[in-house]
Amino acid sequence: MKTYLVQRLGIGLLTLVGMSIVIFALLRFAPGDIVDILFSTGGYVRPEERIAIMKELGIDKPYTVQYAEWMGQLLRGELGMSYNYGVPAWEVIRPKIPVTLELAVLATIVAVLLGVPTGVISAVRQDTTLDYVLRVVSLAGLSMPSFWLGMVIILGMVAWLGWIPPITYVSPAENFHMHALQFALPALAVGYRSSALITRFTRSALLEVLREDYIRTAWAKGQSGRIVIWSHALKNAMLPVITVIGIEFAFLIGGLIVTERVFNLPGVANYLVEAILARDYPIVQNLVMFIAVVVILSNLAVDLLYGFLDPRVRYGD
Amino acid sequence: MKRIRFVSAMMALAGAGLLLCPGPAAAQTPKSGGSLNIMLREDLSQGFAIHETSTISTVWPAMPCLSNLVIFDPAKPTESAETIVGELAEKWSWQDHYRNLVFFLRKDVKWHDGKPFTSKDVKFTFDMLREAPDAPGKLRINPRKDWYSNIEAVEAAEPYTVVFRLKRPQPSLLLMLASGYSPVYAAHVNPAVYRTGCIGTGPFKLKEWRKGEFADYVKNPDYFVKGRPYLDALRYIVIKERGTRIAALQSGQLDVSFPGETTKTAAEQLKKAVPQLVVTPVGQMVNDNIILNTKKPPFDNPKVRLAVSYAIDRRALIQAVHQGGAVPGAAMAPKPYGVWGLMGNTLAALPGYGKPEDMKAKARKLLAEAGITPQKPLQVEMSTRAIPIYVDMASFVINELKQVGIEASLKQIETSQWHATATRGEYQIGANLTGIGVDDPDGNFYENYACGSPRNYSHFCSEELMKMVDRQSQEIDPKKRLEMVAAIQKKIEDEASRPMLDWRLDYFTHWPHVHGLVAHHNIYNFGRMQDVWRDK
Repeated sequence: MKTYLVQRLGIGLLTLVGMSIVIFALLRFAPGDIVDILFSTGGYVRPEERIAIMKELGIDKPYTVQYAEWMGQLLRGELGMSYNYGVPAWEVIRPKIPVTLELAVLATIVAVLLGVPTGVISAVRQDTTLDYVLRVVSLAGLSMPSFWLGMVIILGMVAWLGWIPPITYVSPAENFHMHALQFALPALAVGYRSSALITRFTRSALLEVLREDYIRTAWAKGQSGRIVIWSHALKNAMLPVITVIGIEFAFLIGGLIVTERVFNLPGVANYLVEAILARDYPIVQNLVMFIAVVVILSNLAVDLLYGFLDPRVRYGD
Repeated sequence: MKRIRFVSAMMALAGAGLLLCPGPAAAQTPKSGGSLNIMLREDLSQGFAIHETSTISTVWPAMPCLSNLVIFDPAKPTESAETIVGELAEKWSWQDHYRNLVFFLRKDVKWHDGKPFTSKDVKFTFDMLREAPDAPGKLRINPRKDWYSNIEAVEAAEPYTVVFRLKRPQPSLLLMLASGYSPVYAAHVNPAVYRTGCIGTGPFKLKEWRKGEFADYVKNPDYFVKGRPYLDALRYIVIKERGTRIAALQSGQLDVSFPGETTKTAAEQLKKAVPQLVVTPVGQMVNDNIILNTKKPPFDNPKVRLAVSYAIDRRALIQAVHQGGAVPGAAMAPKPYGVWGLMGNTLAALPGYGKPEDMKAKARKLLAEAGITPQKPLQVEMSTRAIPIYVDMASFVINELKQVGIEASLKQIETSQWHATATRGEYQIGANLTGIGVDDPDGNFYENYACGSPRNYSHFCSEELMKMVDRQSQEIDPKKRLEMVAAIQKKIEDEASRPMLDWRLDYFTHWPHVHGLVAHHNIYNFGRMQDVWRDK
């Protein structure tokens, strides 16, 4: 177990180094830099002003030096200064992380609570009207982008109720009720899409398990349907479902861009786009690294969960 | 005759729109207290550093913090020399045949950090802006340096008197000083500080700027106008998604819209959903124009340029692209939105304003004279900024050009690259939007048409035109100057280096409980909020 963990963390570290090179290079190869953005907002930047700003921000240095400086900062636990705001990048990023994490966790909970039972019912009632209805609902979830659904929810609410959730972030300490309302709708919009995927995986995995000999034996022994399905079948069908949940959660960390934007939530994903458009390298680089860390850790967590769900899984010690 | 009727009809319609709107609640007694939620469509670019940007996204939310020497009367939508009122200056006086401008400053003004405001602050600000050799302050970028190029010296011999000494008479200077782009910075504060915070003398003090979310202001208890501001607080809320912005306004989470944000169609939808919303059609002081690179073939040929101008049906463009939410005009905004614009017969006689088939026939004739025929069409690349308000206009123009034998392909330029590309002249023909900071010939002509100006994107340089611009700049008689400005506009359109297509309108929207907020015909010059109050 220990060796496995060390190996996985080592691979994770290598992945992070690779990611850092890719994001660093992509940002530099993309047309324009922060001075072009200032040009755009100011209407004009004189050549001498351009040189001075590039020097001030350190983007006049060779790429290798810029990369080494960034890595040095990361090792020291620093994230540099935001080009756009002129304050430490951590100061800008820090308040946004809990928002995205909370939305991703809530959306995942919604997805699991909707997706797993629906998948089970759909499998148990295979080829019945209920199964068809649930499959259509899940297919609709996969077909509808969550941002579109989010916008429909917002426009529907304002048209019929004359009300929308709060448009500025309300912390739970400030007003828990409003906070819950603010997160409920985006979590539902995103969770519904993810639940559709989970439904389909749960259904197919469960159908496969339900055809196994040991299930037939359990039925033959006269065990109740509840015990057969939920204790014997579902536990064994959960491995692929857990994988999907892990992947979906990791995807949500960086994939909530438009949902956060539609519901005006000040999260990481929403801000990442702004930072890319502003060519705010320190913010973009460090946000991407944060997302990469979450993806690596959630994948690791999923792999470790396998061992708990299936005792046959061993971690190469 | 039809052309005249069209232009007159457009003006009448616009005027009627204004009349339909409720005016300021003059009869009501203002109430103190309460707060307003105000729309922002993007975060503050460069914080509150108005002098380092040229965007409404900075000016609008930074206005309540700062003050000018003079300002356009907040209660009057049209801006001119006659509507200028004092702000930090109690009074002012032109002396020595418009060579010296003397300001007498208020003595009861304090910065938000408690330090007194004096003439040193004014000298600091304007020496920094004109980049005087001994200026103690320096901006990172200085986009409006040219506005102050005629200032020879700023003298602050006494604590409450400032003298602007000019190289030559320039009545326009006062108008530029009244713009939202001309606040006074504190001499004791590093100008870089304004990128992250705000120390001003305005009616509201910055409480918090949560980046990407909102900027919160509280009432300045030491504000120099007694009894103002009425409101206790302001919150400028950043909402990047357009649909959410409109929903937030409709649901009442926002009290006030963002200047230049509400199109005619959006306003109609909002009014239908919430009939009590107050919608005021005003000019944006933003125009659509075509930039033609006069340094490169084929647009170094005046006939080809003029053909482009003739080919574009302005009337159809206003209907198709803006659904009627714009008005025709030449280089200066037309009345009632501006003071200097061409009107009536003069405007109707310009290329592109006549009967479409006649205009297009003229365009084909000019192209034929330049050797371009349907058998041998001209192929060009139409560049534009890759955002819908530019692309929609460019697409319409491409279709118009095709009808006269110019085949243009659309090249979308990433938004951050657009201005730099245009300044460098790395394009053939472009669809562009230009915002005018102040409705004044100097502010517009020197910036957009002067030889060597970085924002003269067409790179057109005419000595004769520049002489005309210089002459009008020094003219003191308003009537004579108006005639000179009209002649310049006509010449600009005849040269067709930057054919003007239309002037955009804004349908500024707020809830009826908001009083005292008068939208101006220039998005950059209102929003101090000192006279705004709410009755809910």
